[in-house]
Amino acid sequence: MENELYINIEASAEIILLRPLDLFVRNLVQQLPGFSNAEDVVDNVELAFNEAFTNVSRHAYKSNQKGPVRIEIFVRQNHLEIRLEDYGESFDPDAIAEPDFQNLGEGGLGIWFMRHFMDDWIYKSEAGGKNILRLIKKIPVNETALAINQP
Amino acid sequence: MEIQQKDGVTVISTDERLDALAAPKLKEAVKKMSEESAAKLVIDLAKTKFIDSSGCGALVASLRTLLKSQGDLKIARPSPQAQTLFQLTRLHRVFEIYDNLDAAIGSFQ
Repeated sequence: MENELYINIEASAEIILLRPLDLFVRNLVQQLPGFSNAEDVVDNVELAFNEAFTNVSRHAYKSNQKGPVRIEIFVRQNHLEIRLEDYGESFDPDAIAEPDFQNLGEGGLGIWFMRHFMDDWIYKSEAGGKNILRLIKKIPVNETALAINQP
Repeated sequence: MEIQQKDGVTVISTDERLDALAAPKLKEAVKKMSEESAAKLVIDLAKTKFIDSSGCGALVASLRTLLKSQGDLKIARPSPQAQTLFQLTRLHRVFEIYDNLDAAIGSFQ
């Protein structure tokens, strides 16, 4: 599938990088035609990325590990995909319980937010220890072609 | 994060982001407060443009910590993004939320 835009970032999954990476994703998405007048959708994509990176940093890699994370962003004709790859501890997405909203605890909302705010949330763990999370959001309006040269 | 006292109420004003980096600092500050019995706290979210699951979790943990020591917590001036998350997670039923800081402080009187 042809990409309108492709970005590849390789980093250490350290929580100190959360905000700079988050803001990069936000600023990028804000500039994409289709997202420019959809601030709430930009908020949602930013939140989903934030939760994904935090999970890799805090849960896949334990606090004293500084494992690698690869972040790829694909802008395609109809959708945006943010993909995170790590080599930390995997989890079974089917074993993640829905939050108990009648008695909400301190944790357990991150994956629910990602699933709620993105159109698709796909997680798989491959042989060799690679975990891949794909966050997919449809581009909100018809204006899907990148207008790189426009002010 | 700024901490002030007003009319016997502690006001914690959170920074622009209440995320996995800021959440532990908020919980730590509230834990210290809870050592004092019946602490009255307003968390002012006016400057906070972005909150995530760690931020929501820190607010829940803070409320529980204070309730255990007969204290209480109110929330003031959440952003539209925070309000969206509170409604989705039904936290708007758990917290007393005010649009106005003085009203949040005054609610303890």
